[in-house]
Amino acid sequence: MTSWDEKVGGEPADYGNAVLSANGSYTILPEPVKTFLCNFEAAIRNRNVYDIIQCYEAQFPKLTERFFAKYNWPATQVVTEIVSRSLGGKEPDQLFVILYTEMYYKHIYAHIAGGPSFEDREASYFNYCDFFNFVLGTDTPVTHELPYQLLWDIIDEFIYQFQNFTQYRAKLKNKKDEEISTLRDSVTTWNIHSVLNVLHSLVEKSCINEQLRELASGGDISAVAGEFGERQLYKMLGFFSLIGLCRLHCILGDFFQALKVLENIDVSRLDLYCNVPTCNITTSYYVGFSFMMMRRYEDAIRTLNDALAYHNRVKSSLAGRPDVADYVAKQTDQMCHLLCLCLSLHPMRVDEIVHAQIKEKYNEKNLKLSRMDLDEIANTFQYACPKFLSPVPPNFDLPENYQMNPMRQIKEEFISEIKQQARIPDIRSYLKLYTTLSIEKLAGLMNTEPQVLHRELMCYKHKMQNIVTADAAAAAAAEAPTASSSELDFYIDGDMIHVADTKVARKFGELFIRNILKLEDVNRALTRLDQFIYGVAAGEAGPQAGSARS
Amino acid sequence: KYIELQVTENVYDCEANLAVLKLYQFNPSHYQTNVTIKILLKAIANLPHPDFSLCKYLIEPDKLREEPLSSVVALGNQLETCDFEEFWQNLASTKSSIPAIGSVMGFTDSVRKFICHVVGISYQKIKTDQLCRILDIKRDQLAVYLEEYGWKLVPDDPSHVFVFNYEETIKTRNISEKIGFPQVKQLAPVLQNAASDCHKRAK
Repeated sequence: MTSWDEKVGGEPADYGNAVLSANGSYTILPEPVKTFLCNFEAAIRNRNVYDIIQCYEAQFPKLTERFFAKYNWPATQVVTEIVSRSLGGKEPDQLFVILYTEMYYKHIYAHIAGGPSFEDREASYFNYCDFFNFVLGTDTPVTHELPYQLLWDIIDEFIYQFQNFTQYRAKLKNKKDEEISTLRDSVTTWNIHSVLNVLHSLVEKSCINEQLRELASGGDISAVAGEFGERQLYKMLGFFSLIGLCRLHCILGDFFQALKVLENIDVSRLDLYCNVPTCNITTSYYVGFSFMMMRRYEDAIRTLNDALAYHNRVKSSLAGRPDVADYVAKQTDQMCHLLCLCLSLHPMRVDEIVHAQIKEKYNEKNLKLSRMDLDEIANTFQYACPKFLSPVPPNFDLPENYQMNPMRQIKEEFISEIKQQARIPDIRSYLKLYTTLSIEKLAGLMNTEPQVLHRELMCYKHKMQNIVTADAAAAAAAEAPTASSSELDFYIDGDMIHVADTKVARKFGELFIRNILKLEDVNRALTRLDQFIYGVAAGEAGPQAGSARS
Repeated sequence: KYIELQVTENVYDCEANLAVLKLYQFNPSHYQTNVTIKILLKAIANLPHPDFSLCKYLIEPDKLREEPLSSVVALGNQLETCDFEEFWQNLASTKSSIPAIGSVMGFTDSVRKFICHVVGISYQKIKTDQLCRILDIKRDQLAVYLEEYGWKLVPDDPSHVFVFNYEETIKTRNISEKIGFPQVKQLAPVLQNAASDCHKRAK
């Protein structure tokens, strides 16, 4: 991990007319980098949101790719000095310093080989503390304005670094003793309680829950927003913190709480609240996953389906952001896997385009899943699940690798739940073939006793009952409305099973109409082209050709 | 203490129970087996809600695999797979080894409520003997349950209990396609041209 200064330890690097000197104490950075830094600072100081977006989304990645693909950006002190010199000795804006440091460490996590060291992680943590103190530690709200994408990225990265640190801390096997003792002593760095505390404070300070409730009931938001919540910065930080909390609860294994924190948000219409695609996709992923773990398959399928359709729509706008492209692609892939899993447990109709996508990529996997191939299910789950964490530090005295334990725990439980549902697809496939069927006959077909079959049919009914209310609180109530929305339904009359199937006729009409109109368009275009070509030719060759044509 | 209250007063607060389990997750030194057993039992009593699964996700697998939690988990699993007869047998034998089960007020009532719920969604008509077996009650106690859920003995055939008339609600549906007039209207000029072309060629 080399810094800008160390890299050119002996030889000067040449970037046009910027030359880096060998001794590092007086470094001249390339001009584009310096201009960028000054512009960024000015934009933040002047609260110019548009310029901030330009610097953050367009210029920073470009400069990273051009100059810093393998090296750190210059250290914060160097940058502060440069900017202050350009301002004629004044101190640069404090928020600029914090944000730059945040981007500095984010760059290390993302691009530097070997990843961050313990010191890096700790320093990054303290920088986040600085940021949150800057925002929360005052009696009156700060007057800065920042773009939503930046705010979301800060919260997202904050939780990601926490996750990363916890995993790093749990991998004790190959660590040296001094590393282990540093970890043992650093109780406060990336402590789960602090992380939770920060997110909860942001939510409270911005009164975001009250605002959302008012929004939902059509009331006046400004009446409940409070002094801090009125400002966009706090409001959006509060909103993103809610999503951050959902993610955190999900990776700790508490799916109920994960859904509960989002109770005031209508997850199916996320684009109403904010237009940050990465946020919407991430939210849908965690919400869909939590629904699936709570056996609310219908809700899970609907959420994942909407998310994938949304992703199709915004794919083009995300193309300009190579730094998040990988991350988004991985999450959408995970969502596809989850959708396959849910659909094999609870077949349902989904959006045409999404259905086609899945069929194309995962046909073989779907076959295996529908046959309840436990290995395939386990693999799919492992790929698609988030990186679960344990909230407590590992046992430092026993240097083992503990980071996979939480994931294994949840996976085991999930598989045992699946095992309970193992016979359901078989029953479903037999029932699809009949309108009425006696228990005896089905028992014979499935090689079981009628007694056992009664039990399995009841189990089918029980497992396929979904809670159909979107409200998390009502869902926990004793009388939550449940329904089985499976297309195939049945009831048992004494010894006969009566099956009801919903058949949707293939829609030919629409397809034909669409294609007829398309053909008509093509014909018209051809005729026009025809006239154009021969019209030109007629013009050149003279009037005779024109008359011969018509 | 709140758990004790829930147990003795037959109330249930799912969120609070999950919060306790989470507390144990964050501070493993505070873990108490007794309390966990009671939470699991209350979760089982709240079936068909998935509380039981949610609780299991928050408890360490080692603890779940050893006594006394493993017996409670086994009971829960039997109910989840609707293995009701096994459940009643198991309950009788487990009750002696885990006194906590007896202390949860209304446990068996809640379980019976769940069983009736499952029967209610699955059956239009069920054999009376079968019903008594899965509810673990005698024939004479049946009347109480019949009244509670509005079920009736089939008039001519006392060996069956009529649960709910599903004939009306669960029927095969055919969703066929409807092509609306506005869609056809779009085609009108196209079809007109095509028709006149045909005429021209025919001439």
